[in-house]
Amino acid sequence: MLLAFLLASLLAQDSSSVGRSPNAAIRRQPRTIAIDDAFAERAHLKVGDRVSISVAPGMAGDIVVVGAIVKRGADPSEVARGDLRVRMHLDQLQAVAGYGDRVDRFAISTTPAADIPRLIDRINGVAFGFQAYRSRDIAVETSRTFQVVSRFHRAIGIITIVASSVFLLCIMVLKVEERRRDIAALRLMGISRATVMRAIVIEAALVAVLGSALGVAIGWAISLVVNWHYQALYQTPLAFSIVTAPTIAFAVSLSLLLGITAGVMASLRLVRTPPLALFGR
Amino acid sequence: MRAALAQASLIRHRARTILAVLGVAVAAAMLLDMVMLATGMRESFRELLLSRGFEIRLAPKGTLPFDTDATIPGVSAIIATLRKNPDIREISPVLGASIHVLTGNRDVSGSALGINPSVQGDYELLSGRDVTTSDALVASDHLLRQLVARVGDTLNVATGYDPQTRTYSGQRKLVVTGRVRFIYGATDQSSAAMRRETLEGMNPQSRDRASLFMVRVRSGADAEQVRDWIDKQLPDVTAISIATAIAQVDERLSYFRQLALILGAVSLFVGFLLVTTLVTVSVNERVGEIAVMRAIGVSRSHVVEQIVLEGVAISLAGAVLGLALGLVTARYLNTILSAFPGLPMAIDFFLFQPRAAWSALGLLIVSSIGAGIYPAWRAASLPIAESLRREAIA
Repeated sequence: MLLAFLLASLLAQDSSSVGRSPNAAIRRQPRTIAIDDAFAERAHLKVGDRVSISVAPGMAGDIVVVGAIVKRGADPSEVARGDLRVRMHLDQLQAVAGYGDRVDRFAISTTPAADIPRLIDRINGVAFGFQAYRSRDIAVETSRTFQVVSRFHRAIGIITIVASSVFLLCIMVLKVEERRRDIAALRLMGISRATVMRAIVIEAALVAVLGSALGVAIGWAISLVVNWHYQALYQTPLAFSIVTAPTIAFAVSLSLLLGITAGVMASLRLVRTPPLALFGR
Repeated sequence: MRAALAQASLIRHRARTILAVLGVAVAAAMLLDMVMLATGMRESFRELLLSRGFEIRLAPKGTLPFDTDATIPGVSAIIATLRKNPDIREISPVLGASIHVLTGNRDVSGSALGINPSVQGDYELLSGRDVTTSDALVASDHLLRQLVARVGDTLNVATGYDPQTRTYSGQRKLVVTGRVRFIYGATDQSSAAMRRETLEGMNPQSRDRASLFMVRVRSGADAEQVRDWIDKQLPDVTAISIATAIAQVDERLSYFRQLALILGAVSLFVGFLLVTTLVTVSVNERVGEIAVMRAIGVSRSHVVEQIVLEGVAISLAGAVLGLALGLVTARYLNTILSAFPGLPMAIDFFLFQPRAAWSALGLLIVSSIGAGIYPAWRAASLPIAESLRREAIA
C-alpha cells in the first residue's frame, strides 16, 4: 500500500509519467487500475484512458487502463495529507515496484464463531518478522492523532466556557443593576423581597433561554459554514462540526444556570439595599 | 484629574469592575494563546529546520523527507552534480532503514539513519562519542531503554528478515558508542544512527542510495536560487527549501491556523463587547453627574477622555492578568498537542514570542479605545439642561 502511495504521488508530480504513453507496453492486454476522483480530476483522466505507470519518473513502465474512478471514503487519517491513490492488481504492483513476493500486510476475515484472541496468539506463536493485531487495536493506535485533537478541542472548549461564563455573569449583573430604581419603586410600594427576587430571577432565566436559543441558531449556522469550508478544503465528506442534542442541552443548561446564578447574586445585593439608597438618596 | 475620575468611577462599582476585568483577562488569555498558535507553529518549525544550518533538502520525487520508504539512487553522481554549484557548501546524504535489534529471544524494531558523521544534521550527541568507526552505533534514549542497553554494549542488529527461512538478513554486531537526541525524532521513537556505508553494507539493495540529502548553502547565497538550480539539474528529485517546507506544513496544519484566527477574533470581540457594555451602563448611571460636569464648564473632550480611559483601564488590567493566564493555558495546550504521534519533540505549537504578546496587547488596547468611543460620544453629546431636569424629576 505504501508503494501505491508512492506511485500515486510520483504520477501526480510528474505529468510525463501520467501521460498517455504509446511505448513500453509490457503486457499485450493492459490490465485495469482504479484511481481516486481527485487524481482523475488533477491528471485529467477518465475511464478507458491508457496510462503508463512506473516507480520513478522517466522509467519504462506498465501500460494500464483506467478501469474505474472511485470516490474515497471518509477516512479521518487521510485528512490534510492530500495523497492520491491508485489501486492495482497486487502481482502487477509487486512486479512494477520490484517488491518480489512481499506484501505490507494481510487482512484476515474470520468466521463469526472464531476465537479471535486465540487465533492471534497462534499466529504470533509461529510468526517470524511479523505480528498479528486485532483490527480494533490497530484502529485505536491509528486514531491517536484524533484523540489528541479531541483533547485539544475539549481544553479549548473549557476555556471558552469559562470566558463565556464570566461574560454572562457580568452582563446579567449589569442588567439587573440597571434596574435598581424600578426595584426601589417596587419595594417602596410594598412588594416583598422574595417577590422581587423571584421576578428578577425569572427575567434572568428568560434572557438566558432567549440568548441560548439565539446561540444555538448561530452555532448551527457556523457549523454549516465550518463543514462546507473544511469539506471543500480537504476534499472529504467527513463532518468537522456536528450539533447534537446533548451539545444543545449542555449549552442551554449552562447558560440557564449562569443566568439564574447571576440573577440571584445581583438581586440579593439589590434587595438587601434600602430602597431609598437604591434611589441614591 | 481625568485618571482620578475614571478610577473613582471604577472603584465605585468594585464587583462589576472585577467581573469585567476577569472577563477581559480570559478573553486576553485566549487572544494571546491564539496569536501564539497562529505564529508559533510556523516559527518553531522554521527554527527546527534551520537548527543545523541546512537550508535545502532533497527527497525522492513527489515526496516529503521520510514520508515514504522511497530512496534516491546514484548518491555519488548527485553529490558530484551538487558540488558543481559554488553556492553549495556542504552535502549530507542520509539513508533511512528499519532495523531489528536481536536480544536473546526478543526482537526490538526501530529506525536507523545512515549518515556521514562529519556533516550530519540529524542528531545531537548527549554522551559518549560519535560513529567514528564502521562498527559504531549511536542510539536514542528510548531505544536504549527498550533494549536495556547502554554505551559500550554490543548489539546484534539486522536490517531485514526472511519469513520463509526464518532468518534475519543483514546482521552485524555494532557497538553503542553514544547516546543521542534525534532533532527531528518523536519522543517515543526508537532510533539509531550509524555510518552510511555500514547501513549500506547491511542492506546491499540500498547501495549508493539515499533517502534524503541535506544541503547547506554558502553564507550570503540565495537558498531559493540554489533550489531552482537543483530542480533543473536533478529533475528526478524534489528539492525543498525552508520556505517550501513551511508552506507544505502550513497547508497540512492550516486547520490550527484557521482555528486560531477564528477563536482569536471571537475573543477580541467578546472583550470589546464586555468593555462597551460596562462603560455604556456606567455612563447611563451617571447621566446626571456628567450633565453637572458639563454645566460647570467641563469640556466635551474631557468627558470623552475620562470615559475612554475607563475602558482602557479595564482592558489594561485584564490584559496584564490575561498575559499570565495565557502563558499558563498555552503551556497546558502545548502539552496536549505535543502528544501528536510522530511529531518531532522540538516542535512547539504555542511558542512565546514578545511580538505575539505585543500584538495581543495592541489589539486589546485598540479594541478598548473603540469600545469606549460609543458611550463617550453619547455622554459628550448629552443635552445638559434636559438631562439635569430629568435627573431632578427622577
